[in-house]
Amino acid sequence: MTDDRLTASGIPIKGCYGPDDVPKSVHGALEAGPGRAPFVRGAYEGMYRTKPWRIFQLSGFGNPADERERLLFLLRQGEGGIIMEHDRNTADHLYDVDHPEVVARREDVGLTGAVIIGVRDYETILEGIPIEEIYTHPGGAVVQHAPFALACYWTVAKRRGIDLRQLAGTGQSDFFLTYVGCITKQQIPPRAGLRLNNDITEFCLENLPRWVPVSIAGYNGADSGLSAPDELATVFATAVEYLDALADRGRYRPEELSHKVGGVNFRVGMDFFEDIAKLRAARKMWSDLLEQRYGIGDEKARQLRIHVVTAGSALTYQQPLNNIARGTIMALASVLGGVQSLGVACYDEALSIPSEHAHQMSVRIQQILQHETGIDAVADPLGGSYYLEALTSELEARAWESFAEIEGQGGFIEALDSGWLHRRAARRQSEQWDEVENDDRLIVGVNCHQIDETPFEIDGFQGTTDAWDQAMGRLAEVRSSRDGVAARRALHELERVCRSDGNVMGPVMQAVDADVTLGEIGGVFREVWGDWEPPIRP
Amino acid sequence: MSRIIIAKTGLDGHWRGTLLVSRALRDAGFEVIMLGMARGEDIVSATVDEDADLVGLNVGGRVEVVERILDDLTVAAPGVPVFAGGVVPPWVRRRLEARGVEVFPPGSKLEEIVAAARRLTRGPSPPASAGPAATPPTEDG
Repeated sequence: MTDDRLTASGIPIKGCYGPDDVPKSVHGALEAGPGRAPFVRGAYEGMYRTKPWRIFQLSGFGNPADERERLLFLLRQGEGGIIMEHDRNTADHLYDVDHPEVVARREDVGLTGAVIIGVRDYETILEGIPIEEIYTHPGGAVVQHAPFALACYWTVAKRRGIDLRQLAGTGQSDFFLTYVGCITKQQIPPRAGLRLNNDITEFCLENLPRWVPVSIAGYNGADSGLSAPDELATVFATAVEYLDALADRGRYRPEELSHKVGGVNFRVGMDFFEDIAKLRAARKMWSDLLEQRYGIGDEKARQLRIHVVTAGSALTYQQPLNNIARGTIMALASVLGGVQSLGVACYDEALSIPSEHAHQMSVRIQQILQHETGIDAVADPLGGSYYLEALTSELEARAWESFAEIEGQGGFIEALDSGWLHRRAARRQSEQWDEVENDDRLIVGVNCHQIDETPFEIDGFQGTTDAWDQAMGRLAEVRSSRDGVAARRALHELERVCRSDGNVMGPVMQAVDADVTLGEIGGVFREVWGDWEPPIRP
Repeated sequence: MSRIIIAKTGLDGHWRGTLLVSRALRDAGFEVIMLGMARGEDIVSATVDEDADLVGLNVGGRVEVVERILDDLTVAAPGVPVFAGGVVPPWVRRRLEARGVEVFPPGSKLEEIVAAARRLTRGPSPPASAGPAATPPTEDG
C-alpha cells in the first residue's frame, strides 16, 4: 500500500519529497510573496496579522424570529458576519407557502432555513442587527432566488436610511448548487440564470462597491463528486462565462469586473495536503487566467479571495462527536491554504440542521485556531515545502487540462446543459463510495472502529414545528394589508424588464418594497423563462 | 425483474445519496422507477400503476410527511414494503422502524441496501437484521 498512495483526486504521491520535486517554473511565483501576483502565497501581504479570517457560518431555521435568535447567538459567540439560510422548499423554488408543492410537504417548511415571504420577514430577522457594520450573506444561494434575497436585504437597509454604498457582504447565486448539486424541482434555465447573475454584478458595480455580487461555489461541485482539479477548472470556467457575457454587454471592461467575480468558494475535505495545495493553486490560476486571457496587468484586479466551507460529506452519522475532530482538521487545512473566510460544517450535519451547541463548536474550533495555535502569525507557513509545492504545481497542471476539456465541451454552461459535468461528477462519486465499501478508504466509525451506538450520542436538532402555519398567517396579512395596485404594477414592470435587456435588479427592488412576495416573483420568472430540463434522468 | 420506486419526500435538492442508491440498485438488476421529488399522491399512484415491489424514500424533511405517505400507501398498496434513507436523525429512525420501515442512515453500505431490497422483494422476509443502517454521507448546499 505504501507504494501506490494517491491523493483524493488520484495524484500519485511518493514517500518523501526533495528539492528536485519542486518545478523550477514555480520559483518566481513563490518569490513574489503574499499579496503579490500570482498570489500563490496568499491574497494579502500581511495575511492574518492584518486581517484575521472571517468566521462565517451558515445558519437559519424556522420562523424569522428563530433565525434572528440564532444569528444573534452566533454573533455573541464571536462570528464575524452572518449568513441567512432560507427554507429550501420555498426559497430555492420561489414558491409561496400556499403553493401546492409546498402544502403537500407543509411540515418540512422551515426545517432547513427560515421561511421568508417578503421584505417584512427580513425586517423581523434583522431587527436590532446593525447591518451597516456587519458583513452579510443574505441568502440567495440558488440562482433564481438571489435577486429576491439581495433586494430584500438592501431594501431593509434603505428603509433604515443606510446608504447602499456602505453595505458589505456577498451574494452567492451558485451554478453548482443550482444546476449540479442540489437540483430543484423547478428552476429557470442556466442562460437565464447567467443573465440574472450579470444583472446583479452590474447593479453592484453601480450601487454597492463593497459587495461581492456572486460567489462561485466550487464546494457544491466538489461535494457532488468533482475532484480537486475539476473543482478548480469548473470554478474558473464559470468565471469565464460571467466575464465574457458581462464584457459583451459593453458597459465594463474585464479589469473592472474581475474583482467582483473573484470572490469564490471552495470545499476543503479530509485530504489535508491536497486541499491546502488546491487553495494555493486557485489563487495562481485566477491571476494567470486574467493576465493571459484578458490581458489584465493590474495585480490588484487579479487577486482571488476565498471562502471555504468544510466538507459536509466528510462528516459521519456514526459517532457524530468525531466530526468535531474532522472539522478541526479541515479548518486547519483551510487556514494553512490562506482562506479569507471560513465556515466549519457542524458536527451534527449528517443528522439534522445544526443545534445551537454544534454551531457554537464550529465557531470555537476557529477561535481556538486563531488564539491558541500561533498559525495566524506567518503567511503561507507551509510555502516552500517540497511536497506541497510539487502537489500545488501538479494540481494546477491537471486543473488546466480539465479546464481545456470544458472549453472543448463549449464552455461551462454547455457542459452543464449537456449533462457532461453531471456524468463526470456522478462517476467519481460512485468511485469514491466504492472505495469506502471496499475498505480501500477508511472512515472511522463507518468502515472501521465501529461501536454499538445505543444509546446514540446525540438525537438531532428538531427545530420549530409551526413555521408553515405561521407563514400562512403572514402571507394572508401581507396580501390583505399591502397596496395591491402598487404590487401589481411592480410585477408588470418586473415582467417587462425581464423581457427586455434592462437590469432586473431595479424592478425587483421596487417589487419587494411594494410587498410583492417570493412566489409572485417566481411566477414572473417562470412565465418569462420557463423551466430548465435537467440533462440527467437519475 | 423487481420494480422499485425511488422518491424524495421533500423539496430539498440534495441528490447525492439518492443517486448512489439508485445506481447501486440498477447495477444489482432492479428496475428503478425514479420519481425524484414527488408528492405523496404521486408516490402512491406510481406504486399502484407501476405495480411496484418496493418503495424507497429519501427523507430530507420531517417525519410527518413520510408518515402521511405511509398511511396512504397502507390503504392504496397494502403489503408493498418501504425502506428509507437520508438525513434521518435517530428519533425519526425509531419512529419509522416502528412502522415497519427499514431505515438506512448516512454511511450505510450500498451492499446492505441492495441486500435489503432483495429480501424485501422476495415474499416473506426474515426478521429485520439489527445491522448498521442506510445511505452514504450527505452533502450540504
